[in-house]
Amino acid sequence: MSKIAVKVDDLTVAYNYKPVLWDIDLEIPEGVLMAIVGPNGAGKSTLIKSILGILKPIAGSVSIYGKPYTKQRQLVAYVPQKGSVDWDFPTTALDVVLMGTYGSLGWIKRPGQKEKKAALEALEKVGMLAFKGRQISQLSGGQQQRIFLARALVQNASIYFMDEPFQGVDATTEIAIINILKELRKAGKTVIVVHHDLQTVPEYFDWVTFLNVKKIATGPVKDIFNDDNLTKTYGINYKVSIQE
Amino acid sequence: MSSAQIEIQLIASIVAVACAIPGTFLVLRKMAMISDAISHSILPGIVVGFFITQDLNSPLLILLAALTGIITVVLVEYIQKTGLVKEDTAIGLVFPALFSIGVILIAKNANDVHLDVDAVLLGELAFAPFDRLLTGGTDVGPKSLWVVGSILIVTVTLLILFFKELKVSTFDKGLAASLGFSPAIIHYGLMSISSVTTVGAFDAVGAILVVALMIAPAAAAYLLTTDLKKMLALAIIFGIFSAVFGYWVAHWLDASIAGSITTVLGLVFLLVYLFAPSKGIIAVMYRERQQQTEVSLLTFLLHLKNHDELEERHVNHLNEHINWQKVRAKTVLDLAQKNNMITIEKNIVSLTKKGNEFTSKAINYIMTNEDTQIEDMKDDFFLFRG
Ligand SMILES: Nc1ncnc2c1ncn2[C@@H]1O[C@H](COP(=O)(O)OP(=O)(O)OP(=O)(O)O)[C@@H](O)[C@H]1O
Ligand SMILES: [Mg+2]
Repeated sequence: MSKIAVKVDDLTVAYNYKPVLWDIDLEIPEGVLMAIVGPNGAGKSTLIKSILGILKPIAGSVSIYGKPYTKQRQLVAYVPQKGSVDWDFPTTALDVVLMGTYGSLGWIKRPGQKEKKAALEALEKVGMLAFKGRQISQLSGGQQQRIFLARALVQNASIYFMDEPFQGVDATTEIAIINILKELRKAGKTVIVVHHDLQTVPEYFDWVTFLNVKKIATGPVKDIFNDDNLTKTYGINYKVSIQE
Repeated sequence: MSSAQIEIQLIASIVAVACAIPGTFLVLRKMAMISDAISHSILPGIVVGFFITQDLNSPLLILLAALTGIITVVLVEYIQKTGLVKEDTAIGLVFPALFSIGVILIAKNANDVHLDVDAVLLGELAFAPFDRLLTGGTDVGPKSLWVVGSILIVTVTLLILFFKELKVSTFDKGLAASLGFSPAIIHYGLMSISSVTTVGAFDAVGAILVVALMIAPAAAAYLLTTDLKKMLALAIIFGIFSAVFGYWVAHWLDASIAGSITTVLGLVFLLVYLFAPSKGIIAVMYRERQQQTEVSLLTFLLHLKNHDELEERHVNHLNEHINWQKVRAKTVLDLAQKNNMITIEKNIVSLTKKGNEFTSKAINYIMTNEDTQIEDMKDDFFLFRG
């Protein structure tokens, strides 16, 4: 019924000739809030990086709304697991968020009032307006995470990839972030989140992909988030879903 | 001042600015070493360029030599990618090789090449005004002034056009790539400009001063600001200052100009390194001391808050019970009184309302690490600045 936002075909990815993702087929429908779950080293980050063209697969292909990623960059925003940024770089929180608008500006053009307003709004949304002038290394880990979320928000993308956005954030922030993600979904965006806390999957997400080197299952949370798939993914006998 | 003196200072200042701009980004990218590598490995390019053009200031020579600079960067990256050695080792492998090729080329052709290694490394600013550029018989100034001036114009134009791209790709390569700004293009663009600047300036000021002018002003500026534009501006100011002041030092001492400028650059960096307000050595030491006092203050305030008994709040008791030396107790008492946190009456210390609130807030912060309520305290107390 709905359009396919992201389509992955026969994707195999290797580091130094050792495949870490085998023959992945995946279709992510438009407008879902999807969790990718799997144990450490399952290849979750690798999958996202391959979709975004950061890693070159040895086989298979990826398309974003039917076209290769390089043609669709504007549609995609990405919050990496561990920001590969230079924390001591002389720049403020506001400036970092402003960088999210650079993509729509293109080469040479500079951000103006409109971009600045968007950046301030995004900071407000993630509750970081008070810190806009702070040098980024002087923010706590959770605050940094929120700045990167704000940066993704101003990219005004259609598809958001977030690699463990809840890592190291407190409970209040986690709820604030998930509410923002739910808002994005309401606005028709597709949000893909690598997530480790299996307890909260049913509450936060409506779609889920189980991954461990191979794709185990993908679909609506209510249909496929069960002990069977969890056991297949995590190996051991997993009992988590029906605890309440 | 004679016109030659003015020309020398002008050339040195222009080189300083042309170096400070790429230098700022090299420092931020932690690539200071690569500028050293470029400055040495361009030698074979210069020699070959000189065979062809017979003119050290020819644009063709500059381009050829800059190309050697790029080759250096590519080779370093190639060796590094094999994963066998780290970046600085790769740099250490590449540039002596290229440099020695240059030295051999010069030695082999010593008879017809008017070029020696010393001149390349050290340059001689004092002679720069004598090599004039003539167009249609009229003297339009020293050749090297035109060379470094053109390079500066190109550098400044590129900086203005691509400031945002340089910034984002230096700060976050991954983001730059995903926004469609190829980090590779920007990287090689920066490397090209650094090479061209090095080559264009070496004849006037020598390769060593070029490296110093690229790195020292930017490194000093980095310690002084958290704003990229201000960092650029400061690096430029430090560069110009060192160029001009260094010139006069050389004049007074009758020493090498390039050597004096390099020395001034070193001193500027040293001073900033010691006295920079927040990242300088002295500031860091002062801050640590101050934090220590503040912790003591808090301990003391907490003690007052927890004890109503008069004998617990007697000034003498502080020395005995809390076990501080007299000096320490006095510093803490002074600090508390200065901030209106306590009152002392007949040697009995009491918390004021402000002191009471402060203590609760501070304890709360230390326990919860929630720093929204203490924003206003950050200005007065180091303890709360994270
Ligand atoms: N740069 C690299 N070079 C070589 N191997 C790598 C590299 N990055 C990841 N790997 C390997 O690839 C596999 C998948 O890594 P990936 O980072 O995708 O896991 P993940 O599912 O995101 O794990 P986590 O939950 O710990 O973030 C792991 O076995 C890892 O060791
Ligand atoms: Mg990961």
